[in-house]
Amino acid sequence: MMTTAGGRHQFTVPVKKINTGADMQHFLVSKAYRDIVTFLHQLNRSVCPRYCADAAPAGGGGTTTKVRMFETDLSNSSAHPEGVERLRKLLLAVDLLSSEYPAEAYADRRFGNRAFRSFLGGLRDKAGWLLEEHLGLKSGKGKEELVVYLLGAWGSAERLDYGTGHELSFLAFLGGLWKLGFFYTGNGKEEEAERGLVLVIVELYLETVRKLILKYTLEPAGSHGVWGLDDHSFLPYIFGSAQLTRPIKDGEAMPLEGSAPGSPKPSEILNANSMKMWRGKNMYFSAIGFINDVKKGPFWEHSPTLYDISGIAFGWGKINKGMVKMYDAEVLGKFPVVQHFPFGSLFEWEAVPGARMPAQSVHVASQPTTTSASLPGLCTGAGRGEQTSWPLRQRLSGPAGGAGAATLAQARSVPISSATGAIQEPSGLGGQNPESQPRSREPPSGRRVSIPDLPFLEGKPSPPGAQYSVTRAPWAKDNDDNDG
Amino acid sequence: MSDLDRAIAQLRACRPIPEAEVRELCHKARELLIEEGNVVTVNAPVTICGDIHGQFHDLMELFRVGGDVPDTNYLFMGDFVDRGFYSLESFLLLLCLKVRYPDRMTLIRGNHESRQITTVYGFYDECLRKYGSANVWRYCCDVFDYLALGAIVLGASNTLPGTPAGEDVEIEVCNPDQQIMSRFLRRGRGRGAEGSPSGNGNGNGVTNGVSSTSPTPANTGPPGSGASGSSGGSVGNPAGAVLCVHGGLSPLIDNVDKIRLLDRKQEVPHEGAMCDLLWSDPDEIDGWGLSPRGAGFLFGADIVKVFNHRNDLSLIARAHQLVMEGFKEMFDNSIVTVWSAPNYCYRCGNVAALLELSEDDAGLGVLARSNGDVNRSTGGVVAGPRGVLMENDLEDQVLPGPARRYRVFTAAPQDSRGMPAKKPVADYFL
Repeated sequence: MMTTAGGRHQFTVPVKKINTGADMQHFLVSKAYRDIVTFLHQLNRSVCPRYCADAAPAGGGGTTTKVRMFETDLSNSSAHPEGVERLRKLLLAVDLLSSEYPAEAYADRRFGNRAFRSFLGGLRDKAGWLLEEHLGLKSGKGKEELVVYLLGAWGSAERLDYGTGHELSFLAFLGGLWKLGFFYTGNGKEEEAERGLVLVIVELYLETVRKLILKYTLEPAGSHGVWGLDDHSFLPYIFGSAQLTRPIKDGEAMPLEGSAPGSPKPSEILNANSMKMWRGKNMYFSAIGFINDVKKGPFWEHSPTLYDISGIAFGWGKINKGMVKMYDAEVLGKFPVVQHFPFGSLFEWEAVPGARMPAQSVHVASQPTTTSASLPGLCTGAGRGEQTSWPLRQRLSGPAGGAGAATLAQARSVPISSATGAIQEPSGLGGQNPESQPRSREPPSGRRVSIPDLPFLEGKPSPPGAQYSVTRAPWAKDNDDNDG
Repeated sequence: MSDLDRAIAQLRACRPIPEAEVRELCHKARELLIEEGNVVTVNAPVTICGDIHGQFHDLMELFRVGGDVPDTNYLFMGDFVDRGFYSLESFLLLLCLKVRYPDRMTLIRGNHESRQITTVYGFYDECLRKYGSANVWRYCCDVFDYLALGAIVLGASNTLPGTPAGEDVEIEVCNPDQQIMSRFLRRGRGRGAEGSPSGNGNGNGVTNGVSSTSPTPANTGPPGSGASGSSGGSVGNPAGAVLCVHGGLSPLIDNVDKIRLLDRKQEVPHEGAMCDLLWSDPDEIDGWGLSPRGAGFLFGADIVKVFNHRNDLSLIARAHQLVMEGFKEMFDNSIVTVWSAPNYCYRCGNVAALLELSEDDAGLGVLARSNGDVNRSTGGVVAGPRGVLMENDLEDQVLPGPARRYRVFTAAPQDSRGMPAKKPVADYFL
């Protein structure tokens, strides 16, 4: 896989590795999992409101404290960091490409529109060129690796659906670029780039996806029916709640609760005026605005989970923390969602050396149990949309049985807590008394996802590997990134 | 008022019944269902319904449109649960009605009536949310194992009651207010199938998002009606039997009796005949194909025609696939998809339908009149990818389908549903 001999990084075309439920356990201790989670936390933290450096709350007289909040930005602004702006152009090019593939008119079609397949085919033909043209990615320098994640980000040609697995692929695409130093500025302003990735790039991506969903009537790929968080997306609920969380100082960890001053109450997602006011600035409201656009019926009925979350009393920080936990369990922890995720040199299948095997987590209690031996485990994840498909698309050769379910359940959520320390309190402790845990469990803000000794993009400065140290899981040995 | 009637009243008001009552209900239902064969025999008249998916208020609308139980004899083809908000109320009400009026209510199993599927698509989450434990989910799943796999409808009439004398109406489409939207006469025999007008019902119609390439003449059937004259015509035989099954056919099942031999009292297996019956879809292919669903198969017109011929069936009624117009006949009217969940998942914008088959009170069936191509377009001939040999072999032997009345309806009004209190959130947010 990765070799650092002679400073040459060996890229590989990512391939599917998760073939059975048993592979989930490995995934959750893999370097890929660790890096995805770390990257997600970095992005999440980057959009949390900040106390301005010179106006940090001073003792009791904090009335003059200034808070900077961060809003989504789909504008054509020259103020975007360069890497962000180039990526924005790439997304606009994808959007433009889709206009070349109008939805086909069928007198009597079923739900998904087949023209989506043609669009994906067109994108496949052009994706390599897009990466070269807009990002300067060259053959043999990561293009072949990243193109796989970019192509996986728009939905399934076979099933004409879109879900959190595709969203994850886009996150990996961004994470891969990050690892390649694409957003490295050398002046300590990486967090600005991170912020741009969320507020400009992820939001523009989501907007593009929403257009595709409407245009090609894409089905939800992951669906617990009304009981899921959202038919298609998850990330906007993480980042959107972070945008409204209680402000932090530089170096401070993500708060466990509390809202930014001037932010709407969580219950205001139900208020049409608040929705109008915030949907253009905040990713959470933007996502719910889309639900309102496409669904007819009472909100509490078609989106009961979001409805109940809107009743949370401890602010957006509380929601943010819950969303990250839930993402870990319901997206990264679910075989049906991550089974298609491909692994290469940027997101490695290799286990983090010395990683502890996952232990039992609190969420195991919510797993369905069954007395039927014929019920395979690993089935509680996303499905396949309006047209139901078998959760385990590949029929398992052996009985998955209860053992599989236990494996996944046990594997779930612990590594994330260990990897980052930020989100998973010991069962019962943080949940019952979060106020008593003000101290940071967040990785210190200088730690970045990176690969040391990578050949970087032409014209870009090589990032000093020493400055970019990978956030390490507590179980990881030092310098594990350098072992072949 | 008996306990059962009280439970029915409570569920009709969309209020779940206590866990202890669910347990007792499920116990009674199992005792009843265990006596049923894998393939239940149902006599016409009967009203056949497709997927419900927890859309309780739309189920109430269905009863309003189709008539109440026990006045109307109902056959539901599965997928009562998952996706919607009211899977619990919907399924328990249907189950109560089954126990209360066993001869007026037939429930067969859909692919969602399964432990594994309900943990993925919502019913499990719903039970947990509404009862705080998985007990009710378990009781319901135990009932799922006993649901029949299919039904045979006998004694359906070739004619529709209330249609004008002298007109041999094969298909009638009504709106929810009992108004007739369109009627399609039975066409003559012979090579008519080849000369059928185009339109989406030409027997090589559309499924799985696969489009017919022909334009739709304005005076042919509405989408999904299949009312383009390619039915086999009729020469006075009583309508053949109608097989009802949730998904479709299986390569392991070449006659209905083989369904009867299955051991059905189990979780739906990942493969095999029982799985296929609940998972397969018809498609514009020859023979059998792999299903994109990962379970069951795709099957083509040739498969349906051979199966129907071999089993003296005139029609297969199935559900399992969203069809925007609520129903859709395919393969020269040899198979129909019925879908009964309007505006599916709050957003699909589809209408729903139910299928009424009337009773053949003449005993032998009514001699159908040959009406030639009356009221038929003649344009847009499309000779689709039928199995040619099959066509020639079977053409003169295809049983005439029963007369079919589809009632199309839309989602129930939602104004009256009050906003409930917010419930405690999932563990993640504690």
